[in-house]
Amino acid sequence: MLKLAIKDLRLIIHDKRAVILTLILPIALISLFAFAFGGVGGGSNDANPISIFISDRDNTDMTKEVISKLDTMKSLDIKQIPFEEGKEEVKKGNRVALLVFYKGFKDSVDNGTSPSMELFYDQSRQIEAGLLQQVLYSKLMGIVGQKTIKKSIKKMIEKNNPDLAPKDLSAIQQQVDEQMNSFGKSDENPANNSLGIKTTPVFAKAEQNLGLVQAVAGTAIMMLLFTVAGMGSGMLLEKEEGTLKKLLYSPIRPTSILFGKMLATVAVSIIQLSVMFIFAWLAFGLNIFIDFASLVLMILTTAFACASFGIFIASIAKTRKQVESYSTLIILVMSAIGGSMVPLFLMPAIMQNIAVVSVNYWGIQGFYDIFWRHLPISDVAQRALVLFGIGSIMMLISIKNFKKNILSIA
Amino acid sequence: MNNILEVSNLSKTFENVEALKRVSFSIQNGEFYGLLGPNGAGKTTTINIISTISQPDTGYVKINGMDLKNHSIECKKSIGVVPQEIALYNELSAHENLMFWGSLYSLNYADLQNKIDETMSLMGLTDRKEDKIKTYSGGMKRRINIASALLHSPKILIMDEPTVGIDPQSRNLIFDVLEELHKNGMTIIYTTHYMEEVERLCDRIGIIDHGNIIAEGTIDELRETTKAEESINIHVENSEHINTEKIKQIKNCLDISNGVITFSSKNSGKDLPLILMELNKAEVGISQIEIHKVNLETIFLNLTGRKLRD
Repeated sequence: MLKLAIKDLRLIIHDKRAVILTLILPIALISLFAFAFGGVGGGSNDANPISIFISDRDNTDMTKEVISKLDTMKSLDIKQIPFEEGKEEVKKGNRVALLVFYKGFKDSVDNGTSPSMELFYDQSRQIEAGLLQQVLYSKLMGIVGQKTIKKSIKKMIEKNNPDLAPKDLSAIQQQVDEQMNSFGKSDENPANNSLGIKTTPVFAKAEQNLGLVQAVAGTAIMMLLFTVAGMGSGMLLEKEEGTLKKLLYSPIRPTSILFGKMLATVAVSIIQLSVMFIFAWLAFGLNIFIDFASLVLMILTTAFACASFGIFIASIAKTRKQVESYSTLIILVMSAIGGSMVPLFLMPAIMQNIAVVSVNYWGIQGFYDIFWRHLPISDVAQRALVLFGIGSIMMLISIKNFKKNILSIA
Repeated sequence: MNNILEVSNLSKTFENVEALKRVSFSIQNGEFYGLLGPNGAGKTTTINIISTISQPDTGYVKINGMDLKNHSIECKKSIGVVPQEIALYNELSAHENLMFWGSLYSLNYADLQNKIDETMSLMGLTDRKEDKIKTYSGGMKRRINIASALLHSPKILIMDEPTVGIDPQSRNLIFDVLEELHKNGMTIIYTTHYMEEVERLCDRIGIIDHGNIIAEGTIDELRETTKAEESINIHVENSEHINTEKIKQIKNCLDISNGVITFSSKNSGKDLPLILMELNKAEVGISQIEIHKVNLETIFLNLTGRKLRD
């Protein structure tokens, strides 16, 4: 029994693929999720700053003071921007929110009425937006909220007690100030939510369920990557079974073999993605006709990028076993960082920055643009262009590798 | 007759191993040429270069007067290659396989269909046309493998050990097909290490060993040029106890292996009694005696000092 066990262990050690799947893949995924959710690698327990835009349309000393104080907060990454431009950027998902100080902000504070400001946030990043509101209200309360409330209380006392002696009025006012100052020093400020800041999601149409878009796009792209990796390994199967050699005997150019394989893979990818979205439409009511041209564009470019990935994996491997090992590892890692497994907005900023290296990221964000952000095709085309670029680069590398690794059969 | 294939000074080295050393030969139109040699002799490397999937380090190949390097597509259209492996798609039917392989040569649909029917009939597999390849026996797959190389009516058919591992019935059928094709004027290059196949099929033979063509000609010419002699094989009893050194000193002793002592002889009837007398003196017990007339085995043995399957 022991001899059998030792023999099996030896076989596993000699099988690189088994070693990768047994040890390296879990280690890679543990590291990845630790970075994504465990705060590992940040060097401290501080949260990553939330990126927001500020548009100052009041442009007074008070708004400048408020912006300056917000800028000192480690939890916020602030950039000033004109109102319309900021709204568009949030719409595109480039920052979590836009805080607008409207004309008359200072006057509203001086008059003790609700400050004239508004927070526009990306509804696809609701969790970050929720955190932002907590951070923002707390700070704004410290800066402008007390001024507003004090003036509001004074007005109310004067109004309700017109016969009160000025001395008594002053004494009451002093007590209110002291109480407000003590609130200002406390984390448990009961007035945190009483500022009355208007909050507006940038996309309020709510035609599509974000979770559904995430589930369909994320899963479809991840599964597509597995499909194309399988198809890519078909090229190595042809090499192993001798049909590739026989193809080379025929009067077709060697690169035509690669392009033929690519064409078939792209076709299968398009069919698979289309079926996934049609299923989501029929079964879950995803409105795939919301911007059909953009959807077709995204399906085509995502299919091309994923198909190139499959061919690329096959071109760097020398055997089908290698393809299986490489593809399992790379697809799981790409899917994890690219947002297929867990929505990107749940991940810290560093992971969101790393995500751009994956095909999944560009594909999912493109589908978000269509179904959630409702962006015009000109904006969707930018994501599509990146996917096309990724696909083209992988295709060029594959052609080079194909000549070196696959054609070296004689 | 004109040379349809001209191979000149081909050399090829793989990681310090010289697979071909200035190999040259030419084949005439309509000729059945056998390239004979043991495993690793350079047959497949030569075939790979002729069929354009490998580039030689030096030398050139001309097919129908066209340089292979500069006119590879035209040359590929002139040749049909039957590889050593059964290179077919198992999940497709024989008909689907042949449709695919034939389509690579730009045949129109009707011509291709006719050609498929013709080759399936030639191979005796018409009734299995629509069956998937995975349901075929090894010999039937070999026949489809050959059929797929005939669809575009090549001028030269190159066959790389096409009968490895098949049953005698399929082998004989393949031989009949090849003889038919040859009779109809097709040029065939046939590599093998089975001498009996070469003896049955080929007009002319090139013997290749260690990357060199060591002899070339018809069997009669090879017999003449190599001065090959008949061979006498004597099977001995208790071979492990015989005095090998003493036996090797007997005149014309070529080889002692696997309990068989091989002698060459110009006249076996005259030489055999003398050999038996010497073996008796060496106290060798004899279990069986075989006399072989001059064949490719003896020619190869004579040329290299080794048996073909060593």
